[in-house]
Amino acid sequence: MFDLEPAIAGWRRQMLAAGIQTPVPLEELEGHLREEIEHQAESGTDTPLAFALAVQHIGKANMLETEFVKVDGTNAMRTLKQYQTIMVACLGLVSLFWIACLLLKLGNLSEITAAQQMSGLAAVAVMILLAGIGLFGHGPASLSRRVRDLICISRGRLLVLLGVWFICYVAEPVGFLLILPKFDGGALWIMLPPAGILFGFIGGLEKAASKGTTVTTS
Amino acid sequence: MIRKELVAASAEPLILSLLAKGESYGYAIIQEVKARSDGKLQWTDGMLYPVLHRMEHRGLIKSRWAESETGRKRKYYSLKKDGKTAMAKHHEQWSLVHGVLAGLQKEQYV
Repeated sequence: MFDLEPAIAGWRRQMLAAGIQTPVPLEELEGHLREEIEHQAESGTDTPLAFALAVQHIGKANMLETEFVKVDGTNAMRTLKQYQTIMVACLGLVSLFWIACLLLKLGNLSEITAAQQMSGLAAVAVMILLAGIGLFGHGPASLSRRVRDLICISRGRLLVLLGVWFICYVAEPVGFLLILPKFDGGALWIMLPPAGILFGFIGGLEKAASKGTTVTTS
Repeated sequence: MIRKELVAASAEPLILSLLAKGESYGYAIIQEVKARSDGKLQWTDGMLYPVLHRMEHRGLIKSRWAESETGRKRKYYSLKKDGKTAMAKHHEQWSLVHGVLAGLQKEQYV
């Protein structure tokens, strides 16, 4: 004697085993399956055949999963692009800020010499370069997946660190905070390139992770 | 039966056009497409859902869960503003293709 509910439960298990996520989209697919079974039964098909036809119409689990993975991949790429745009914009703003501070000799940088000014601008350029290398996935991509995962987990803490860095060394020159002594253009070499590495490292992880995902799903 | 590539390419404009008439759910969308094409345009039922999800993520449509008249939970889809714009674009492009084809066909009989 054919029992519909265990048959549907078996179909659900197959879908889950293929990687179809629950509740979405599995619940939606199950709803569709039940509607199709009802539709077949109404037109006179017996329940076992109605179930078999509905399963056939809905398609194979692995085929469906492949399609859903493509959707997830597209979404991940869109999020990555947005994230990267934000990171590039932040880098641009920080760089512009420093260039303006150095060129206009703002705040605590008012007494720097022309040589220190040039040295500071070079430090900004190195920061942009290092951050850019990381942001476009050339730095962290070479790390093992395990290390990347570890950094991804502690990304929040790294961002806090970057925030503290910003408050201490970016807000300082225009005199927002007076917790540090005055510094010259040369001191920027200690601050900006490491900030660039950290910035690129955090931002580039997403890109590196996406490279890993593409390899896995293709 | 219509070729697989054409079926795939026509999925988005058809879904958008159907949803322009009012909100609907997966099974009903498939049934309506089947009925309107006299069964010649057939999707693998399950393949509709990745398309719907992709369109939802792109902001063309939105969804909500609601109970059907039989008490079963259904996910209803409806058109968003961007979906209307996309639909207009699709109509324009498909009309253009249709126009070119029709023109060429006419010339063959002249």
